[in-house]
Amino acid sequence: MLLKLAWRNIWRNKRRSIITLAAVIFATLMAIAMRGIQLGTYALNIKSVVELFSGYLQIQEKRYRDNPSLTYSFVVDKNIKEALNSTKGVLGYAPRVYADGLISYKDNSRGAAIFGIEPEKENGVTTFIKNINAGKFFTSDSSNQIVVGDQLLKNLDAKIGDDIVILAQGFDGTLGNQKYKIVGTVKFGVQELEASLIFMGLKSAQSLLDMGSRVNVIAIKADNLNDLPEIDKSLSAKIKNPDLKVLSWTKVNPELEQSIQLDNVSGIFFLGILIVIVAFGILNTVLMSVIERFREFGVVLAIGMPQINLTYLVYLETIIITLIGLSAGNILGAGVNYYFILHPIVFGGELKQLYEIYHFLPQLKSTLEPGIFVNVSLSILIIALVSCFYPAYKVYKLEPLKGIRHT
Amino acid sequence: MEILKAENLVKVYQDNGVPVNALRGINLSVSKGEYIVIAGPSGSGKTTLLNLLGALDKPTEGKIYFEGEDITLKEKKELSKMRLHKLGFIFQAYNLIPVLTAIENIEFSMMLLGIPDNVRKEKALALMDELGIKELADKRPNEMSGGQQQRVAVARAIVNNPTLVLADEPTANLDSVTAGHLLDLMEQMNTEKNITFIFSSHDKNVIDRAKRLIILKDGTIEKK
Ligand SMILES: Nc1ncnc2c1ncn2[C@@H]1O[C@H](COP(=O)(O)OP(=O)(O)OP(=O)(O)O)[C@@H](O)[C@H]1O
Ligand SMILES: [Mg+2]
Repeated sequence: MLLKLAWRNIWRNKRRSIITLAAVIFATLMAIAMRGIQLGTYALNIKSVVELFSGYLQIQEKRYRDNPSLTYSFVVDKNIKEALNSTKGVLGYAPRVYADGLISYKDNSRGAAIFGIEPEKENGVTTFIKNINAGKFFTSDSSNQIVVGDQLLKNLDAKIGDDIVILAQGFDGTLGNQKYKIVGTVKFGVQELEASLIFMGLKSAQSLLDMGSRVNVIAIKADNLNDLPEIDKSLSAKIKNPDLKVLSWTKVNPELEQSIQLDNVSGIFFLGILIVIVAFGILNTVLMSVIERFREFGVVLAIGMPQINLTYLVYLETIIITLIGLSAGNILGAGVNYYFILHPIVFGGELKQLYEIYHFLPQLKSTLEPGIFVNVSLSILIIALVSCFYPAYKVYKLEPLKGIRHT
Repeated sequence: MEILKAENLVKVYQDNGVPVNALRGINLSVSKGEYIVIAGPSGSGKTTLLNLLGALDKPTEGKIYFEGEDITLKEKKELSKMRLHKLGFIFQAYNLIPVLTAIENIEFSMMLLGIPDNVRKEKALALMDELGIKELADKRPNEMSGGQQQRVAVARAIVNNPTLVLADEPTANLDSVTAGHLLDLMEQMNTEKNITFIFSSHDKNVIDRAKRLIILKDGTIEKK
């Protein structure tokens, strides 16, 4: 009966209910679309950045992140391989060695950041191999071939095909040097990086650095960002070596996470404003609808309706409108988000260039991540219930005679 | 059998700080089955008295005993419950819930008592039949005339078999013919079902039909 009353009361003042409904739908839709674009774009950019080089996750010696020294290296043993192969969500992995060194060509010498990699394995984990600018990438078994940053080649005044010498301090502290042939250059759009970057085969690097079969990092590709905590947990449990640690991209690349969090705060702030506006809208319409019915409420209180039931009625009306609005808003929001997944907003010009420097895709894409729908719906429902409190309290305090006399 | 007794009722309103003496010492005893009209000029205190007797307001001084219990001492919640179980109300207008049909309005009082759905419907229909308003069952208040609305209000007031029905100027908004029909109805319920009625009016036709007449003047009962 209360439900019937609530339902009919809603349609009694159609205009007002439709306005309230429209406000809830609009707010839900806006919030879902905005959050969708925001979170979808974050995911896109995170993917683009971690897939470029760092990987979704890495396995490192536990001290390596804070002190990236050759000392903190490890052997990729059977246990690690089995752990990686048996963990759901791991799509591929690539072991790497990293060291600082000096590269010399004729009279020119430059500092170098040396990465020992296996191109075939990297292909299943990262995309940077595709950033080859001139020449070609070496294969895993080719020895003494290197690919250098475009800017480094220029700084050395060398050409592809030239032989150079690399000097580096090895695992045991002694200096080693070896001759290599430049077979290609890479370009990422960040000159600073390209002025020191050297890729060589993993084995070449291990021999130069005298580290046997040890590596510094295993970069891992996962099937999606949401499963990282689970993959982390599962891997950590399987890997027996207590000196090893699984790090997600947020730990490997904290700057990226920070910049996203900063941007996220502004998004949430905007959402907050949207929700406060809706809250005042609801407060206003509910209060109006309640005051208009004081006389009628007075009569039912006089005949003995418990005050609390009348309060329920007010709440029920708001909840019904809000739930209808939320349903419609969620459906429309899902539609809009789906549209922007199929048709991301692609932009060009200066913004595009700026984005590309950070290896973000110049795109705004959405997502159908369920968390967005749940959070937005809950926020709006809660705010509707809170807005309803004051009108409901007024009804709770209404005296039958005051209501009957109300004009 | 005495069901209601008022002793030395005084009601003083505060009208912007100015005290208004609406009732100045009312003594009254009502027995089961009475049919009482309270008459008197405007401002004489009719509404005030009915509100006190109906437990909608509290007297400034004096006692009201309903079925032997002093209701001036009871709390709001208890009074609400008492009104639901023992009293019926008919107001001058806007009695019915606008979004409910006639029959639903009658069922509403029964719903508050927790009477199950099917019983409610049957009882409401039987009563409407008895009052000759069965054809109004599915009409909303705005589809009914004032007289029809008041008759539905009577049905709602008596459906829970109250000890006492209070009506403040129930005929004030009706023409004399319609008012006559409403009075017929209440009189019929009074004689057939022995329901006690107290209502106020300053309509001569109504006053003439009173079985017991109480005339108020300046907040006191006028002695004949
Ligand atoms: N809530 C109130 N606050 C202040 N004064 C009031 C209030 N209600 C009634 N009064 C005053 O009390 C007196 C009695 O009023 P009451 O409404 O009981 O008279 P009434 O006989 O019902 O009059 P009417 O025939 O016009 O309905 C009047 O002087 C009125 O102005
Ligand atoms: Mg009056």
